Amino acid sequence: MTQGLRKYLKILRISLVERLAYRADFFLTTFLRFLPLITTFLLWEAIYRGSGTDQIAGFTRDSMIAYLLLVQISRMFSSMPGLSTGIARDIRDGNLKKYLLQPIDMLWYLLSYRGAHKIAYIATTALPYGVLFLLFHEVFTLPSAWTWVAYIVSLLLAFLIGFFFEACIGVAGFWILEVTSLMYIINIVNFFISGQMFPLDLLERYPYVLDVLNVLPFHYLAYFPAMVFLEKKQGTELLVGLLIEALWALALILLSRWMYRLGLRHYSAYGG
Amino acid sequence: MWRYLKLWLSLAKFSLLGEMAFRGNFLVKIFVEVLWLAILLVFNFTLFQQTTHIENWDVNQYLFFIGCYFAMGGLIETLFLENCNQFADLIRTGDLDFFLLKPIDEQFLVSCKHIDWSCAPNFLLGLGVMGYALWTSGWVLNYSQIFAFVALFISGAALAYGFLLLLTSASIWLMRNQSLYEMWWLFTTLMRYPREIFSHGNWATPAGFFFSFVIPIMLVTNVPARMMVKTLEPSWLAWYALGSAVVVLIVSRYVFRAALRRYRSSSS
Repeated sequence: MTQGLRKYLKILRISLVERLAYRADFFLTTFLRFLPLITTFLLWEAIYRGSGTDQIAGFTRDSMIAYLLLVQISRMFSSMPGLSTGIARDIRDGNLKKYLLQPIDMLWYLLSYRGAHKIAYIATTALPYGVLFLLFHEVFTLPSAWTWVAYIVSLLLAFLIGFFFEACIGVAGFWILEVTSLMYIINIVNFFISGQMFPLDLLERYPYVLDVLNVLPFHYLAYFPAMVFLEKKQGTELLVGLLIEALWALALILLSRWMYRLGLRHYSAYGG
Repeated sequence: MWRYLKLWLSLAKFSLLGEMAFRGNFLVKIFVEVLWLAILLVFNFTLFQQTTHIENWDVNQYLFFIGCYFAMGGLIETLFLENCNQFADLIRTGDLDFFLLKPIDEQFLVSCKHIDWSCAPNFLLGLGVMGYALWTSGWVLNYSQIFAFVALFISGAALAYGFLLLLTSASIWLMRNQSLYEMWWLFTTLMRYPREIFSHGNWATPAGFFFSFVIPIMLVTNVPARMMVKTLEPSWLAWYALGSAVVVLIVSRYVFRAALRRYRSSSS
């Protein structure tokens, strides 16, 4: 067991070194990526000025800006660019063999790899994001210690949900040969239903839409962790939310593993 | 000139034939764009449930702005974006040699060779949204206003093209591994909103001034949209937009040629 774990920790370390090779590139794009965020802040400020109130769907101007910043942190953990298309490509090209020939499991390998990617990404963007958060520090009130614990748990579960959801789509590549366009569509819809675009509470006039979105796992990828940090989910609501998040993570892990096993039986190693 | 038009038409036809060979892909791409527009509209609709105005734009005027942005984006993506995106690849592989050897203007060939027909429906969707916004606001037909709008829209497109070409040339020096798509998307964030949202605050006002007058990317959609749904009060702004389009086109051509001069056909 420990040996098995050590193997994946080694992969984590190697990938970490690999990621840190491209630092300058990283900083430049991170700063450019702030541009849409800044314009969105300005748009919201204009909306608050226009509406004449300082509460929109339970959000003050400050907590709205805090929400939009926190969603970036959620996505830092939960977004998995290129994961499913990578898996599908390995299946299609026959590169999957390299996992089958070694005493290594593809999904756990990719999980270690992504983990390293995320650690490197968070470490290298800590500086620019730190500056940004410092600039807007007055919109935040620091939550209690228990909220911090719940927040970190919700982020780690968001990472697992993000990973295994995309893994499921990638493994679907055993049966459908082209998942790139499917991923395009999912990403666009996800931008909306994960709450990355705006807090889902704005849909309060459509309770049935909110009910559906609350059942789906996607709001855990952006909306839920941010709401935990803002202490807008508390008590039983928070616990139930975390529990369902954990259940979704577990369900997606099991689903992806089941699909992977089923797919391997179907697989005939073309190409290579 | 006539020769270039004929050449461009055959290139357009050729691109369309290529696209039609993969019809499924074409349809998926269009579907993705329609989905994106739908989400933008839902976002817009949700915002206007909370307020009647965003700065001095009411719901129909703002909808028109979104349509104008969508049409402008669609036009640039159809005609130029894919071409400019491939420029870095042409340099890296040395395939730019084949472009330079042809008795045709290099800038024309690099930036207009391929027409991305799958983005063309965006232009039409944008037109549709603009038309709907005008219709619901009870707009009365006014030919001179339409004429001014079309002229300013074209000048906005020229301005955007100039910036795209500048970014393409700069990407050769600055960001070798970066995709131009992402850079362009981030940059055009500035033409996605009315520039009035930049008119409050210590840093937003100077930033708004900078991106309206020094690097006038905000004028690309703001000036034509304003012309159509409001009267363009300071009419000098329209002239400023036209003038800056000319200046940016000239400067971008100069920079592009400077970038080409540094090309040494390094591969092979």
